[in-house]
Amino acid sequence: MNTRIAILALLLVTSTAARAQQAPQSGNILVQNATVLTITQGTLTNADILILDGKIAALGEEISPPEEATVIDATGLYVMPGIIDAHSHIGISTVNEPTAPVTAQVSVGDVLNPYSVSIYRALAGGVTTSHVMHGSANVIGGQNETIKHRWGMTDPAALRMTGAPRTIKFALGENPTRVHGRGNSVRPASRMGVEYVLRETFSKAERYREAWEQYEERARTDARAIPPPYNEQLEVITDILAGDILIHCHSYRADEILMLLDVLEDFGIDRVTFQHVNEGFKIAPELAAFGKYGAAASVFADWWAYKFEVYYSTAYNAAILTRNGVLTSINSDSGELNRHLYHEAAKSQKYGDLSDDEALALITINPAKQLGIEDRVGSIEVGKDGDLALFTAHPLSIYAIPQKTIIDGRVYFDRDRDPDDVRLQVNPEAAIDIAVLHEKYDHQACLEDASLTVYDLVQELE
Amino acid sequence: MRAFSASLLLGSWLFFLPIFAHGQVNSGEDVPTVTRTHALVNARVVQAPKRMLERATVVIRDGLITAVGPDVAIPFDAEEIVADSLTVYAGFIDGLSHAGIPEPPKVANEERPENPGFPPDAMAGIQPGRDVRTLLDPTQQNLKDLRAVGFTAAHVVPRGGMLPGSGAVILLAGEHANDLVVKGNTSLLAQITPARRMYPATDMGVIATMRQLYREATRRKRIEELYAKDPTGLKRPAYDPVHYALFPVLGGTTPVYFHTEDALDLHRILALRSELEFPVVLTGLSQSFEVVDKLRQAGHPLLLGTKFPKAPKKKEQEPVDSTKAQPTDAAAELPEVAMPTYRKDLRTMSYADVDTERENLEARRDLERKKHLANAATLHEAGLSFGFTTLDTKPADILGNVRTMIEHGLPEHAALAALTTTPAKILEVSSSMGTVDVGKMANLVVTKGSIFDNDTTIRYVFVDGAKYVMEPDQKEQDSTKTEESGGSRANRIAMPQEDADRARDLTVVRASRTNR
Repeated sequence: MNTRIAILALLLVTSTAARAQQAPQSGNILVQNATVLTITQGTLTNADILILDGKIAALGEEISPPEEATVIDATGLYVMPGIIDAHSHIGISTVNEPTAPVTAQVSVGDVLNPYSVSIYRALAGGVTTSHVMHGSANVIGGQNETIKHRWGMTDPAALRMTGAPRTIKFALGENPTRVHGRGNSVRPASRMGVEYVLRETFSKAERYREAWEQYEERARTDARAIPPPYNEQLEVITDILAGDILIHCHSYRADEILMLLDVLEDFGIDRVTFQHVNEGFKIAPELAAFGKYGAAASVFADWWAYKFEVYYSTAYNAAILTRNGVLTSINSDSGELNRHLYHEAAKSQKYGDLSDDEALALITINPAKQLGIEDRVGSIEVGKDGDLALFTAHPLSIYAIPQKTIIDGRVYFDRDRDPDDVRLQVNPEAAIDIAVLHEKYDHQACLEDASLTVYDLVQELE
Repeated sequence: MRAFSASLLLGSWLFFLPIFAHGQVNSGEDVPTVTRTHALVNARVVQAPKRMLERATVVIRDGLITAVGPDVAIPFDAEEIVADSLTVYAGFIDGLSHAGIPEPPKVANEERPENPGFPPDAMAGIQPGRDVRTLLDPTQQNLKDLRAVGFTAAHVVPRGGMLPGSGAVILLAGEHANDLVVKGNTSLLAQITPARRMYPATDMGVIATMRQLYREATRRKRIEELYAKDPTGLKRPAYDPVHYALFPVLGGTTPVYFHTEDALDLHRILALRSELEFPVVLTGLSQSFEVVDKLRQAGHPLLLGTKFPKAPKKKEQEPVDSTKAQPTDAAAELPEVAMPTYRKDLRTMSYADVDTERENLEARRDLERKKHLANAATLHEAGLSFGFTTLDTKPADILGNVRTMIEHGLPEHAALAALTTTPAKILEVSSSMGTVDVGKMANLVVTKGSIFDNDTTIRYVFVDGAKYVMEPDQKEQDSTKTEESGGSRANRIAMPQEDADRARDLTVVRASRTNR
């Protein structure tokens, strides 16, 4: 009993201390005396990292703290770049617009939800950036959004990683054929249909682009030229064809992956990242050889067999792809798994003997390259964003515990100041039920929202 | 029955006959009115927020306010209402409402489009071409219910999905739909309301659809203008009711009334509006306390909802299961810590100290609830003015909720402005509504005390000069059993069974002197 009172007293003291620290953060931080895993430039011991105005300003030993910087003593701690999750559905209000096989015009960036507590949970696992994706119900789904986990900002725009390239979700195989073909009796009902939808849509966009180019040509001399119909969807597809939007494609089987490579080649698109890509190990050389840059792969460490098209897989996938020169990342696709992506990366050492840097690259610089943000994040280098994750041990160790997560030189997660209630918004009508562990979107898979349509199918069959 | 009553009354009421002849108004009942001239004598007159006459007379004639002041001559034909203990306000204006718009019948097996990716516009909730004036039903109960709590005019919009149609300003009384209309095409209603199981089925789909509609409408409007200027050599532009209904918005003449349900809605709509730059009035605004700075920067007109979150239900205690071991865990031995306020930094051992955590979470929820109740005050303190919208609020709850806003810091004059002058300004009807001034439409609320006192009752409501008695005394209610729940129509011929008390209440004594 006495110890309980002592603990309680201790808690009261720490909480008062925490309150005193609530002042707005400047973006200036000096991390001292850490083991620094730069990813791209080796590992530094007893090193300091100076972040000024949110950017890494200096890296080295015994950097003297500027006046207005928060100093973090990281003696005994390991610092790695903030983890990047290349495939996630956190922090958005809706995942799938599952009503049509092509919905390129929609964007999850329009429905960001900064109140979603899964953002804080991701921070607690050292994740600073997520590629928040549309679901996989459609052949060409909606546009994705690359966000930083700036927990506490309630303006959705504050989550955006401004300047990150636009990306879009594609999906092959069972999901789009089930939702549209079987669910709604519209194309595609088969893998052949998926290819048809892709080619048809790209062709439409080419014609659309030509029509507008002709109009613009005419309009130069004729003030009464009539513009062709405006189409928000084909505008987006046109941008894909122009290479302004990166494709991230949900895929499992080797044959359908090769199919998409063929289609992209025919339409002159040379940047693509395959998501899940569980049979990627079968076609690793083909992926590496694709186009100017090679096709990239973002995989699970050791997760498969959750539906028929995912039965053939291996935990060696990440290592095989890496060894074959494929730009590879490991993602979570989950509001739970994202908190231990460093464990997922570590599995590539058990299965495939990747080096420390190779393993950590799977969750840092490699996903950064896949998202086109490698000049900003993904490694600890002078000039990059001040996004760091501090661990008690090497992050590939099973004993590692995330201590602090820093974005733009501001501490957004601190294990020493991690109160019970971190919510930004509370339902004023709800009864208090403190047993709730998961919020609605924590376990959403790619097919969230599309299940309605599957349900409809069952109803209709009955 | 009517003939019988008329003949019975003929003897004692003969001298009113000349007035019957020309005094008839659209009463909603097939009974002539005694007079359209009324004088509220010696009332406290709140002409506008912060502008009050302590003892004044208001004269109404033919639907207009013809005199307001302490030394006003009472016309010969006026019904004189002794108003020494009464307060007169301008009739309230509901900034956005579905009053008078019937709810669509519930369909058991909803029709589904052949291809859910390309549903017909109307099915997807895209109906900007609908005109609310064609949907009005003057017998709707909510018209009477709103009138009973002091509203005399409303900006009504169709019910529906993302783009339900255009709105109109109406009066909350009238026999025929057309009688209600003050002006039409006042607005285009928009809301982030997805279609059910067809495109757009999500918030992001709705936003994308709005972009598509807006940009394509911009193109069509341009073509239409080219053609109107000179059709020679141009293909005739194809008419379509959806895009063409957006033209007044593109031209900046008609504002979009964008209804919002929470802070996220507000952020999303503000973002969309800064892309497309349509004129907008933001309505609903629940949780706008989260978005105050942005609202202030944007400077759009605001209509605040009058609905509050429900009081949370207490979780039911589980019945004690005598067959289970009763918890004797150490948590019970912990010293009781008083937790009157929310502690942001609280860290408990959830497994051991559930009660402390629960208390803290309850305190947080109560804080959040208070933010909602103080939402209006928060906006006001930020220098934002707003009208009210009663969309989604039961009429009977409106005044109580406005009083709650006042309890939580909204000044009374700001509340009155939100009920009268601000919606009048937003709806561009300030020259005819919103204050008690000469020349304005005789829309008035007459109360027994300040409208914001809890025990105030509304005595009369005047709509376009027609008087509605809102608080029939007990006797009257017993003897007449009027149909109108909110009150009964005054100035009508008494039924035979109505006793002398009622007759006294109805008559216009002054008129009898001169009309011989």
